[in-house]
Amino acid sequence: MAGTVVQLFATCLGDLAFPAAVTDAEALLREAGFEVEFPAAQVCCGQPAFNAGHRKAARRVGRSFARAFSRAAPVVVPSGSCAAMAAHRLPELLGEEPWEVVELSAFLVAAGYEPPRRNVGRTVAYHDSCHMLRELRISDQPRRLLEASGATLSPLPRPDLCCGFGGTFSVRQPEVSLAMADEKLAGAAGAEALVTADPGCMAHLRGRAERAGGPRIVHLATALARGIG
Amino acid sequence: MSLAQPPKRFREAARAALANERIQGALDVATSRLHENRLEAWAGLEDVEALREQGREIRLGTLAGLDGHLDDFQRALEARGGHVHRCADAAGASARIVEICAAAGARLVAKSKSMATEEIGLNTALEEAGMEVVETDLGEWILQLAGEHPVHIVAPAIEKTAADVAELFSRVEGRPVSPELSELTRVARTRLREVFQNADVGVTGANFAVAETGSICLVSNEGNARLVSSLPRVHVVLLGMERVVPTLAELAVLLRLLARSATGQPLSSYTTLVTGPRRAGEQDGPEELHVVVLDNGRSGLRGTRYEEMLSCIRCGACLNVCPVYRKAGGGAYGPVYSGPMGAVLVPLLAGLERAPALPHASSLCGACTDACPVKIPLHDLLLDLRSDLAEGGIASRRERLGFTLWSLAWSSPRGYRLSTALARLGQPLARLAGPGRVWAAGRALPRLSRRYRDSR
Repeated sequence: MAGTVVQLFATCLGDLAFPAAVTDAEALLREAGFEVEFPAAQVCCGQPAFNAGHRKAARRVGRSFARAFSRAAPVVVPSGSCAAMAAHRLPELLGEEPWEVVELSAFLVAAGYEPPRRNVGRTVAYHDSCHMLRELRISDQPRRLLEASGATLSPLPRPDLCCGFGGTFSVRQPEVSLAMADEKLAGAAGAEALVTADPGCMAHLRGRAERAGGPRIVHLATALARGIG
Repeated sequence: MSLAQPPKRFREAARAALANERIQGALDVATSRLHENRLEAWAGLEDVEALREQGREIRLGTLAGLDGHLDDFQRALEARGGHVHRCADAAGASARIVEICAAAGARLVAKSKSMATEEIGLNTALEEAGMEVVETDLGEWILQLAGEHPVHIVAPAIEKTAADVAELFSRVEGRPVSPELSELTRVARTRLREVFQNADVGVTGANFAVAETGSICLVSNEGNARLVSSLPRVHVVLLGMERVVPTLAELAVLLRLLARSATGQPLSSYTTLVTGPRRAGEQDGPEELHVVVLDNGRSGLRGTRYEEMLSCIRCGACLNVCPVYRKAGGGAYGPVYSGPMGAVLVPLLAGLERAPALPHASSLCGACTDACPVKIPLHDLLLDLRSDLAEGGIASRRERLGFTLWSLAWSSPRGYRLSTALARLGQPLARLAGPGRVWAAGRALPRLSRRYRDSR
């Protein structure tokens, strides 16, 4: 596997708001023995517009993905939601052949990666992002990696419930969106950190926790690459 | 009653529901219980996925030949002495039922729970014609006493606590009624028994209609549907035109899914098949049976992307799993259909421009799609409705312009770099206006620092 090339898709939110999480994702991929390429022409998968119904705008932005990524190597994404968009929606939206798009934790587990034990003695809760859970059906892999890193998982009362981000939903229905975040944060009160694999959920939950209190919100890649700290 | 839903209503009603701790508590307890019951009931099936697939195929297959099945149903029912009336819209259906009741000389009309009658605003029409209408489903009766509309298609009074109900019943009884369930049901039983005995006409909905036999299938847990359909001299059924199944064999499949998905029961306490009016020599049953078949926008969906929505069997599973419904409550979606099925169906029946907020009243988490017993891709339909809003020019000009400008900037790495560099400089301003301001009212805005791509 050493020297196998992967293409890293930072996602717009990762690139702009959570660059450290993307750096950690890159570090994990290297630790797992992959050669990481970062196609410089990448921008965004177009999901913000697609989910808001603006398909023409989504297509315009989505084409940047098609231009940036090749089909010769897997595209690895530290976001379940963007991975679902790129894997399941973009090909049809653009009329293109699909790419091999894999969410980071699923990719690492499939590659047999065993994370170093950087979270021994720590208690964390894991938040399933909806698109990762329901469109990609990935729920075991991030938990398995966290446990392999030494962390004890503290289960959320209703792991199936959305955190309330939902793209433009977060500003169209801000009161409901915040109430959903508060319930999620309250459910993680017993954990040292709430870990998630999606920058969207992270921006929303972290922003809410900063205002209203709550556990630290940590990206899965950071939790694995550096420990929850 | 109108299905139209003004744009700001959802947010305002949701805000009120969120501010009411009793409602929040009741929603949480009831939806969680129904959700867990469904999961347990589904787990008890040998192969739930195969059954869901079978249910979906039955529904879609029936819709494909709907005209023929409705004709068969009509022929079978008429052969048994029933009457069938086809009505194109809500006003027509209401008027027809008022006529039937008036011809029967009705003063008192007893109803069992029916969302279709809510859809056509039947109670108002009957009352305007001078008749007294009493809901006999416990939840519906509670709401009628409170002057409210159902907030859940299966558990209409889901937001009411026992204490709320005791307060209402105390008013009716003119004495203090304690909030114990046995006491509450005693009050309801005594009061409603008089209604069953004295009603001139009974009105029910229909969970299904069986084409081969001309039967109406009623699914309930309180037994009131049986009384309403058998004691009064005339029984009127309001049937959504899409609720027909070809044969009893197919009905059996859908019944295996319906109660399990709605309440977690293998079958509801009462699953009734009504086949024609009372026949010679029979001891009970109505002398007249009328089935009013309601279109009201349904046939307009046939052959479109949205036809699948007509396969809905009204189990309410999508409401119970919906994280938005369990916070916003049912009233936010309007007076009739709520939750994800309502967010899809109401714009389809009322017109998208008359309910433009509903397709956006979802975080698109997809829990509804996973919970649907007949596998309607509810969150995909919401996405398509959003696209119709944008492309049909119903979305605001500002929103459309915003996405166009954004997409032009982000169509190339250069535009992306430039626009995000500007956004970084403008960060302190983001909280002052537009979506940034709404976001920042309850959340810290993400801080834009050095981009990952610049750190490599």
